[in-house]
Amino acid sequence: MKNNYSRLKWVALIILGGIFFFLSKAAHAATTNILFFLQQEVTGIVSDENGVPVPGVTVTVKNTRRGAVTKLDGQYEITAPANGALVFSYIGFKTFEVAIDGRSEINIQLEEDIASLGEVQINAGYYNTTARKRTGNIARVSGEEIEMQPIVSPLEALQGRMAGVEIQQRSGVPGSAPIIRIRGQNSLRNSRDDNGNLPLYIIDGVPVNSSPLGGSSLNGTTGIDPLNTLNLSNIESIEVLKDADATAIYGSRGANGVILISTKSGKSFEQKTQVEARLYSGVGEVSNKMELLNTEQYLQIRNQAFENDGLEPNQNNAYDLLVWDNYLYTDWQEELYGGTAEITDLNLSVSGGNATTSFRIGGSYHEEGTVFPGDFKYSKVTGGLNLNHRSKNEKLQLNLSLNYGVDNNNLFGSDSFISDALTLPPNAPRLYNDDGSLNWEDLTWDNPLANLQNSSNDQVNNLVTSLGISYEILEGLTFKTNAGYTNLYRNQKGITKKESFRPDIRDSREHSSSERTNIRKSWIIEPQLTYSAKIGAGNLEALVGMTFQESENDNLRISGDGYVSESLIGNLEAAESVEVTEYINIMYKYTALFARLGYNWKEKYFVNLTGRRDGSSRFAPNKRFANFAALGTAWIFSEESVVKENIPFLSFGKLRGSYGTTGSDQIPDYGFLDAYEATPGPGGLYPTQLTNPNFSWEENKKLEAALELGFLKDRINLGVSWYRNRSSNQLVGFPLPSTTGFPSIQANLPATVQNTGWEVEFSSLNISTKDFRWQTSFNFTLPETKLVEFPNISQTSYENVYRVGYPLNIALLYNYEGIDPETGLYQVQDINGDGNFSYEDRTVIEELGRQYYGGISNNLSYKNFSLQFLWQFVKQTGYDEYFSAPGFISNQPENVFQGIADGELQQASQNFTAAIPYSFARNSVHFISDASFLRLKTLGFSYKIPEELLQNWKIEGFRLFLNAQNLLTFTEYNGLNPEYPGGGSLPSLRTVTGGLQINF
Amino acid sequence: MLRNIYIRQLFILLVILINTSCEDFVEIETPKHKIVSATVFAEDETAISAMTGIYNELFNADFSGGWRSSVSVLSGLSSDVLEPVNSNSVSNAEFNQNEISPNNDYNFNLWSSTFNIIYMTNALLEGLSNSEGVSEEVSLRLEGEASFIRAFSYFYLVNLYGDVPIILSTDYEQNSLVTRNNREAVYELIIEDLEASIVFLDSHTESEDRTRVNKFVATAMLARVYLFMEDWEKAEILSNQVLAETSKYEILENLDEVFLPNSKEAIWQISPIGGNVLTNTNEGSVYIGTSRSSIKLSDQFVSSFSLEDKRLDQWVGFYSDTNRAFHFPFKYKDRSSTNNITEYSMVLRLAEQFFIRAEARARTGNLSGAIADLDEIRSRSNLETISESNPGIGQEQLLELIQEERKKELFSEWGHRWLDLKRTNRASEILSPFTSWEDTDVLYPIPEEDRMKNPNLTQNDGY
Repeated sequence: MKNNYSRLKWVALIILGGIFFFLSKAAHAATTNILFFLQQEVTGIVSDENGVPVPGVTVTVKNTRRGAVTKLDGQYEITAPANGALVFSYIGFKTFEVAIDGRSEINIQLEEDIASLGEVQINAGYYNTTARKRTGNIARVSGEEIEMQPIVSPLEALQGRMAGVEIQQRSGVPGSAPIIRIRGQNSLRNSRDDNGNLPLYIIDGVPVNSSPLGGSSLNGTTGIDPLNTLNLSNIESIEVLKDADATAIYGSRGANGVILISTKSGKSFEQKTQVEARLYSGVGEVSNKMELLNTEQYLQIRNQAFENDGLEPNQNNAYDLLVWDNYLYTDWQEELYGGTAEITDLNLSVSGGNATTSFRIGGSYHEEGTVFPGDFKYSKVTGGLNLNHRSKNEKLQLNLSLNYGVDNNNLFGSDSFISDALTLPPNAPRLYNDDGSLNWEDLTWDNPLANLQNSSNDQVNNLVTSLGISYEILEGLTFKTNAGYTNLYRNQKGITKKESFRPDIRDSREHSSSERTNIRKSWIIEPQLTYSAKIGAGNLEALVGMTFQESENDNLRISGDGYVSESLIGNLEAAESVEVTEYINIMYKYTALFARLGYNWKEKYFVNLTGRRDGSSRFAPNKRFANFAALGTAWIFSEESVVKENIPFLSFGKLRGSYGTTGSDQIPDYGFLDAYEATPGPGGLYPTQLTNPNFSWEENKKLEAALELGFLKDRINLGVSWYRNRSSNQLVGFPLPSTTGFPSIQANLPATVQNTGWEVEFSSLNISTKDFRWQTSFNFTLPETKLVEFPNISQTSYENVYRVGYPLNIALLYNYEGIDPETGLYQVQDINGDGNFSYEDRTVIEELGRQYYGGISNNLSYKNFSLQFLWQFVKQTGYDEYFSAPGFISNQPENVFQGIADGELQQASQNFTAAIPYSFARNSVHFISDASFLRLKTLGFSYKIPEELLQNWKIEGFRLFLNAQNLLTFTEYNGLNPEYPGGGSLPSLRTVTGGLQINF
Repeated sequence: MLRNIYIRQLFILLVILINTSCEDFVEIETPKHKIVSATVFAEDETAISAMTGIYNELFNADFSGGWRSSVSVLSGLSSDVLEPVNSNSVSNAEFNQNEISPNNDYNFNLWSSTFNIIYMTNALLEGLSNSEGVSEEVSLRLEGEASFIRAFSYFYLVNLYGDVPIILSTDYEQNSLVTRNNREAVYELIIEDLEASIVFLDSHTESEDRTRVNKFVATAMLARVYLFMEDWEKAEILSNQVLAETSKYEILENLDEVFLPNSKEAIWQISPIGGNVLTNTNEGSVYIGTSRSSIKLSDQFVSSFSLEDKRLDQWVGFYSDTNRAFHFPFKYKDRSSTNNITEYSMVLRLAEQFFIRAEARARTGNLSGAIADLDEIRSRSNLETISESNPGIGQEQLLELIQEERKKELFSEWGHRWLDLKRTNRASEILSPFTSWEDTDVLYPIPEEDRMKNPNLTQNDGY
C-alpha cells in the first residue's frame, strides 16, 4: 500500500501549494485596503447598569477588524476614525453601537441582555451559530455548570441537563463508562463488543474513539470511559447535535448524534496574566442500600423451608443453621461497600495574553477512594495547554490545543462483590479470625475479602491535540485547516493469588496474571474554505472542506500462569506458561468532502443546506462511498410586523424544521474481508465467518419540527421539538442453515428502528434585581422506540430479544398465574401446553426502560451568595433486584419476610423444585416494578468574599463553595440501584465536597 | 470578478483532489490478526497452517471434540452403553430415550459443527485449487488430508442422519438451499475422497505425530467404510494393509498406555492442543466421575464384563458420594489439567482393524482367521482365547461374539456401538426393551432450525 502514502504526500503538497498561492494573492490584496479617514485616540469606561465597571468587553471599530478589550477597571483605549462608530459587545449584555463624532472620550453603560439568546456562540462543529439563528437542534451545557462536580466522567455531568440525551451511569465504581443515547437506540446491535449506538465524540475538532475500554474487575460490565482522562474544569462547553440539520455534515458517523467537547482557551487577547487555583475535597458513600433480613428473620425463613419440605436439616444442606453462629448478625452491605470514599481535587490554571497571542495552561489532580474495604482508589492527573495567535491584521489565526491525562484505576479482581453483599446470610461467619487472618469457618463459605488480594491496576494515558490554522484570503473568504492527533494507551494488569482461593482447593490452583493493552492512535486533517457575504438583503455563509483520517486500534491480552512465588506474579518472564489470548490490530481510514450553504434573509428566514460525501474503510470496496445531506429551515415569525404589533408580549418566535439522512459506520472492521484467523490452538489458521462483499453502513433518516418562543423580552423561553428518526439497512446476522458452514452472515437487512419523541426545554428568569437573581430551567423528554420492521426475525439471534411492533427495550415474560394453592409455589402459564417452559411460552411483552425523563435546575444568587440545584427525574420500569428463591441459603429483601407470612410470595423451600417455578416467575411481571426515581442530582452553594476585603492581598477573587451529588433520591424501587434496575451494580455515590477557589 | 475566479479555482482543485485520492485513501491493509484467503494459499507454510487449523478445530468442534454434543457421547447415549446421571438435562435424556426432538440443541450442535468442519475442508480444497504459490508436493499432501477429513465427517453424517446434502464448495448462496442427497451418493463421495486421500498421501513420509492423517489413516477408514457397505473382501484387504504395518502399529499389552499420545495402537488421534488452555481431553472431563457428572455407564453394560476382564479394572471407573454412585468410562485418566498434555483423544486405533478383519473373514467363511483376530483383543484383556475355549464355534455365534467384543472394547469411543447396532439391524431388538423404541429412531432428526432456514431440507421419518 505504498502507493497510498505517496498519493497522500501528493495531496498534502497540493494543499500546501494552494495555501501559498492564495496567501501571496491575498497579501497583495490586503495592502490595497487603505483607511481613508483621519485616525484618533478614543478612551472611556464601560460599566453595567449599576455603574460597576465591566472588564473584558470587546470594543471594535465598526466595519473593521480593529479592536480592544476593556481592562479590569472597565477602561479601554482604541484608535478609530473620527467619523466612525464603535461597537461594544460582551456576553450577557446587549451589543451597543455608538458613533464617535470626533469625541475622544466615550463612556458607555451596557444593558444586560436577559436571556442572551442571540449572543452565546453555539459550536455546530464546522461552524458556529447562535440559539437565535440555528436551524438545527443543538443542546449546550457550559463548563461552569459542570466544572465543580466531583465526578470522573464528563458525560456523567450532563445527566438531567439536556432534553433527548439519556445518560445512564450504571455503576458507582469510579471510572465506569456511562451509557449515552441521543434520541434513543438506533441500531439493533447493542452489546458491548458490537454496538452500533455510540455517538460521535469530537474534542476540539478531533474525533475520538468513544467505545468503552474493555473493563476488568468491578468495571467489567460497564467498561472504562476513555473520556475520563479529560479534566472537567478544562471544558468550555459540551454541545450535543441531535437532528439531521446538525448531524448530516458528519455523514456516515452522525446517525447517533454528535457530542462536541470544546476545551477552554485563553479568555481573550490583551489580558493580564491570571491564575486560578481551586481545591476541593470531600467524602462519598453509596447513595442507596437495600433493606435486608436480619438474622432472626432469615433463620426463621430457613427453618420454615425445611419444615415445608419435610426435610431434616443436615450439615451439608444447612450449614448456616447448624454450623454457623445463629446469634451473629453482620450488615454485609456495610462491610462490603459501606465505606467512605475520600475525594480530593486540585486544579490550577494560568491564562494571559498580549495583542497577538493568548494562552491558557491548566493542570489538575483528582483522587477518589472507594467505598470498598481495603486500600483502593482512582486517581487522575491532567495537563492542558491552549495557545491562540493572530497576526496584527488578524488575517492569520493559529490555535493549538493539547490535552493530556493519565488515570489510574486501582481496584481488585472480583465481579461478585456487590451481589455477595446482598446475598450473604446475615449470620454468615466473621471475616477475620482473632489473629487477623481470613476466616474460612471450616470451609463452609467463600470469604468475600479473599478477592481483595487480587489487585487490578488499570492505567489509561490519553493525548488529544489539535492545531488549527486559518487565513482570511479575501474579505469573507477564509482558508482553514484543522489537524489533530490522538493517542490513547491503556494498560491493565491483574493478578490472581493462590491465597484468594479456598484453602481446600488452593493446592490445585496456581498464581496467575493477566495483562491487557489497548492502543488507539489516530490523526486527522481537515482543510476547509469558508465564505460569508451579504447577498441581497440577506447573509450567505458557505463552507466546503475535506477530511482525511486514519486510526489504528491494537488490543493485546496476555495471561501468565504458574508463578512459583507471590512476588513474581505479573512478571511474565517468571510464568510457567504465557499465553496470548487476544491479538487484534485494526486499521480504519476515512475520507470525506463536506459542504454547507446557509442563507438568511433579513435575519428572518433561514435556510441551511449541509451535506457530506464520505468513504470509510469499514465498507466493502464496492460500497465505500455514500452521500448524506440535510435541509434545515427556520422562520423567526416574531420579526414579522403583524406579529410584533399584535402580540407584544411575544419577544421571540421561531418555527424550524429539518430533514436529512445520516449513517452509522459503527459496523465491525474488515467485515467484508475474506480472511483466515489464528485458531485458539497453536500454528493453525481457520476461516471464522462467511464473507459478505456487500457490507455497508446503517442508514438513519431524521425529521424534526420545532417551535421556539420567547416572552417578556425573552425572560421566559420555551422550546418544543418533535422528532422522528428511522434507522434502516440494519446490519444483522442474516440467518443461514448450517449447511453453509456457519449459522449466519453479516448483512444489511431492511429492518427498521424508529425513534420518535417530544422534547421540551423551558427557561425563565424569575427574579432579577440588583442583589437577587433567580433563574429556572426545565427539560423534559418523552421518547418512544419501535421496531417497525424486521423480516424473518424468528430465524435470527434476535428472535428472543426484540419483537416487531414493540420498543427495543422489552422483556419477554411468562404469564404470571399467582401462587399454586397446592404447592405454595409460583405458577406461570404453559401457553403451548407442551409441558416445557421456553421462549414460546413467554408471550407477555413488558416495556422496560425510560418512559420519560428530564431535569429541573434552579440558579439563585443573592449578593455574594449563590445556590444552584438540579433535580433529575426518570419514569421507568425495570426488573427487581435478583435474589434466590426464599428458603435457600441467601439473604432476601426485608419485605420478603412479611410477604411470605401474608402468602403474597412463594412459600419458603430449599428444594430444587421450588427454585424452578421461582426462576420462571422471575421472568414474569411479578418481578418487574416501577423503578422511577427523582434525584437531587447536584446541589451547589458558593460564597464570594467581597472584593473590598481582598484588595490588600492582591487577590482578585476568593470563593468558598460546597457541592453535593446525589444527595437525595426518592424512589419506590425495591432494589439497589434505580439507575440500573436489576443490574446488581453499585449505586452512584452520594458525595459532599467543599472547597475554595482563588483568582490572582 | 477576481474573487469568483479564486473560488472557482479552489473548487476545481478540491474536486480533483477528491476524485483522485479518496478512493485510494480508504484502501486498508489486512490487519495483522487476519490473513486474506488468497494469501493463505500463496505459500506452503500458511497453507499447511490452514490444515493445522482444521486439526486444531476438530478438538473444538462439537461432533469430534468428545464433549457433550460429540458423536461419542450422544451416540453412546442412544445405544445401550451410556446413560445420563440424572434426568436434568433434557437434551441428554432425549438421546438416551431415543425421543429426540427436532429442536434438541445438542443434535443441532452435532449437525452444524460437522458442516463447519466440512466448510473448512472445502475452503482449503478451493484455496489449493486456485493457488499457484503452494508447491506440488505440499498441495497434494494437504488435498489428501482435507479429503480425508471431509470423508470422515460425511461418514458420521450419513450414518447418523441418513440422506444428507453433499456440500463441495464454500458458496453460501448455493449451500443455503441444498437438498438432501441419498445415502449411496454420499458413500460414493466418501469412497472417492478416501481413495484420493490414499493416493495423495502415498509418497508422503509420515510424521511421528499421529494427529496428522497419513495414508494408513485413510486406509483404515476405508476398511471401515467397506465393512459398513458389507463389501467384506475390500474390508479385509484394506484392514490387512494396516495390520501388516507391524513396525508402526501394534496392540499394546498395557491397557493404560493405549490412549497416551502417539501410542503404537493409535492410527489417528486428536490432540488437546487445539483447545489452547486446558490440556486434558474432553472425554476425560466429560466422563470421569465427579459430583457434577452428567454421563455414566449403564449398569447393564458394566455387568456384561466378566470379572477377570482387565478392561473392567482399567477402563471402567467408579464414583460415589452420599447422593450418587455410578460407573464411568475411564479410558482417559486426565480430567482437568493445564500446560501438560498426557493423553490424546483417540479416533482410529488398531483394535478396530482387527475387528474389521475378523468380521470380514467370518463373513467370508475364514473362521479360523477371524478367531485369530478376535483372540488378539481377547488375550490382551486377560480373557480366554476362542481358539482354546471354543475352536469349533459357528459363524453366527462368532459374528455375535465379535459384536459383543466390539462393544466392550470400543465403548464410549465414537459411537461404535450405536453404529454397529444400526448396521447389523439389531437396534430395535436390543434397544426396544429400554425405551419407547420405534424403528424410525435409527436416524436422528434433521434440526428444525435448519429446516426453517432451508425449506428444501426434508425431515426424517418419525419426526
